[in-house]
Amino acid sequence: MNEGQGYYDNPVVRRPVWTWEVPAYFWLGGMGAGAFVTASVAQTFGSAEDRRIAADGYYLAAGSLLPCAPLLIADLGRSDRFLHMLRIFKPLSPMNLGAWTLTGFTPLAVARAASHAADSGLLRGPLRVLAGLVPRRLTELTGSLLGLTLAGYSGVLLGATNVPLWAKSKLLGGVFMASALSSGSAAVTLQAARRGRAPEATLHRLAALESAASLGEMAIVAGYLAQSGRTARPLTTGRFAAPFWLGAVGAGSVLPLLLHRFTRRHHGRTLRSLSTAAALCTIAGSLALRWSIFEAGKDSSEDQAASFDLSKA
Amino acid sequence: MIDGYKRLMNLEEPPPPKKAKGFFTDTSLCIGCKACEVACKQWNQLPADGFAITGNSYDNTGHLGATTWRHVQFIEQAKANGRQEQRWLMMSDVCKHCANAACLEACPTGALVRTEFDTVYVQQDICNGCGFCVPACPFGVIDRVPKESTFEVGTAHKCTLCYDRLKDDMTPACAKSCPTASIQFGDVEELQQRARERLGELKARGESSARLYGMPEGKEAVEVGPLHAFFLLLDKPAAYNLPEVPRLPRKTMAERYGWSAAVGIGFAMVAALVFRGGRR
Repeated sequence: MNEGQGYYDNPVVRRPVWTWEVPAYFWLGGMGAGAFVTASVAQTFGSAEDRRIAADGYYLAAGSLLPCAPLLIADLGRSDRFLHMLRIFKPLSPMNLGAWTLTGFTPLAVARAASHAADSGLLRGPLRVLAGLVPRRLTELTGSLLGLTLAGYSGVLLGATNVPLWAKSKLLGGVFMASALSSGSAAVTLQAARRGRAPEATLHRLAALESAASLGEMAIVAGYLAQSGRTARPLTTGRFAAPFWLGAVGAGSVLPLLLHRFTRRHHGRTLRSLSTAAALCTIAGSLALRWSIFEAGKDSSEDQAASFDLSKA
Repeated sequence: MIDGYKRLMNLEEPPPPKKAKGFFTDTSLCIGCKACEVACKQWNQLPADGFAITGNSYDNTGHLGATTWRHVQFIEQAKANGRQEQRWLMMSDVCKHCANAACLEACPTGALVRTEFDTVYVQQDICNGCGFCVPACPFGVIDRVPKESTFEVGTAHKCTLCYDRLKDDMTPACAKSCPTASIQFGDVEELQQRARERLGELKARGESSARLYGMPEGKEAVEVGPLHAFFLLLDKPAAYNLPEVPRLPRKTMAERYGWSAAVGIGFAMVAALVFRGGRR
């Protein structure tokens, strides 16, 4: 007998077929983009010391972007046809826009990292000459624009579906952007704190930036949950509650904020340890955020009542 | 060189447009024989989906999917609309071939195209199985074949409105096999006219809950446009698992990008201020 409002308990929409490669790519791509943007803003506005320290972020940016294309290709049903993504230019499709953005951004990030390596004497011989030819300012500017697109489109892509948890609130693109930038600035801190030579003032400034990013991230996540209402239940209760509340919110935003409050009063090794711990928490939380929202969205696609709510007149 | 690129990327000139073709599925005539499901499977050489018993009336098909392009629903209702007796609604579900198709707009490769018959079609030699069309469809129609299947592995599939038969002026297999004319095939405009007449007929006979779903004037067409496979229903759309207003993701995309950009620009400005503070 048919008692509910729909057809038995059948889902209205199909369950997304994507697997772990997608949240892993969103996380790495977002962090790489965030690190590139942070390093580039420092190049334009920072002191000589800040510029030198923040430029190390280009290494992490390039390193985390390189696995992105292989992850995306692995997720395709027909990986041998990955080039079909670039068969047409169709920005209306976030998937197409993202493929083009990644294609353009990855070489820029690698080129900028190479030119930094040339500047700091890591490259020698002809490679150094070649890397020295990279136009730094132009690469930083175009790379930052492409990086912000890469960091921001992933949440829009998930939102541009009929999966209730992803589509109900319009803020998911902002949530993923905030997570990308907080983890990216944390990646820059991680590089800076690893070396004894980073001035403490730079670490304090990076901590201030990370705190601002964490606060912004908490605000937009709160807005996202408020707009989603009951639709958010597959994320906020049940099997994804722990990774979301403890991982994404707790370790990803609250804990780094508390650690950064401590760093203000500390110096030397303690400061570097606290900065490193906060940065690692932010980066791990960013992965937990992407993964829990991604996986909970699959369950949400089978939530018949949430689908009817999304399509209410 | 441009010609070479087009050949390499399989970019062809589309054939000249013809009259829009579609289905009018009149559920008041459906007897649940599933001939449409069988004819579709046979003509399109779709593999079986196994012998799962759902426990939901006579419906052991479950839902539309990559290898199931017609799905007959069996809706058992007791005391519906103030009647004392039980009633059994049947409905053969199918891809709606939306005028503004979410799957087609989501497709990053251009594999999903609009044909000369104004239907929505997946080019199997182009699709790279990115899977974005699957959650984009507001009706849960299109799906990707799992990598371990025996059938066109890894690409997205759905009803083609028998594109191959249409090319030869033939009726799609499901409509051809329907014994009660519950599935009617033809020019969309003519079918819409026929549907309006049929609705008037049923209303005159006292079937007050009858309604059309997918007509240009319906609220379900606000975002996805008129459905080229539309329905006459005997209950509210939700009873058939049809959304009241199917959402087209494009409609909210600008707002979503806007929030994303606002966060990004906000961060860049804060970062600029923070780093500037260290410059003396």
